[in-house]
Amino acid sequence: MVSTASYVALSGILFALGLVGVLTRRTAIMAFLSVELMLNAANIALVAFARAWGDLMGQTAVFIVMTLAAAEVAIGLAIIVSIFRKRETTNVDDLASLKG
Amino acid sequence: MTLAFYLLGALAIIGGVITIGARNAVHAALGLVGTLLAVAGLFATMNAAFLAATQVIVYAGAIMVLFLFVIMMLNANAPVTGKDPVPFVRELAGIGGTLIAGAFVVIAYTYKDPRPLAEGAAAVRGGTAQAVGETLLTRFLLPFEVVSVLLLVAVVGAVALVQRPAPQPDGFAEGAALPASHAGAELEREVQV
Repeated sequence: MVSTASYVALSGILFALGLVGVLTRRTAIMAFLSVELMLNAANIALVAFARAWGDLMGQTAVFIVMTLAAAEVAIGLAIIVSIFRKRETTNVDDLASLKG
Repeated sequence: MTLAFYLLGALAIIGGVITIGARNAVHAALGLVGTLLAVAGLFATMNAAFLAATQVIVYAGAIMVLFLFVIMMLNANAPVTGKDPVPFVRELAGIGGTLIAGAFVVIAYTYKDPRPLAEGAAAVRGGTAQAVGETLLTRFLLPFEVVSVLLLVAVVGAVALVQRPAPQPDGFAEGAALPASHAGAELEREVQV
């Protein structure tokens, strides 16, 4: 059986990939896709620890995270669509009107 | 099992690289679909059958379709050109990401399994819908109910955010072009601010 450590390492690599995506991509949708990548990385770690401890709590937490991700995507994409209607862009550098 | 882990792990990482590297947003979304399917496979190798199915249906199915719809509707698949306002952001993010990934891997391998893995794998009862459902409706009952409220809020919020303004009785849609006098007042207020 593959050790929990290997799964957590994979989860860490995927999380770092998502982080780089959030930092470098410049459209809101692409940053959002990277956030989904990070959520999935966290899910892998949760399921791995659930198996390591023999406790289903980890898997249940992943189920709740998935529900949360679905809600987040629905709201986030709605916000992006309404911003696009007003500003004709989803480039986050152009959406800096709240900058102090 | 080991082969499945390395194969699916490699697929997940390749999908992730495509997600953050593809210039076309549709390609990036499809790369993420690949990652999500690989992660579903990884769930299956970790005795989480129900989560593997949910991952495919909800994530790779519903959520990514929503993403692709919006990308195509906004025609956002063209890459953003022009200079990034932050200097060296790509290089710095690449170096920082590599360091963080390395740190994660090093820390991960300091983790020792608290008991034999086969024992833990047996205790999660294959992660079937029945096993997860029992936990969800006993120890996780309050979070479960709160999540249902959250989903309701998300549905109402999404509809409220994207609906077109309703036509007003006086013939002007809210938010549409205002009459000249109004527009002038608006402009003055903006100038004062």
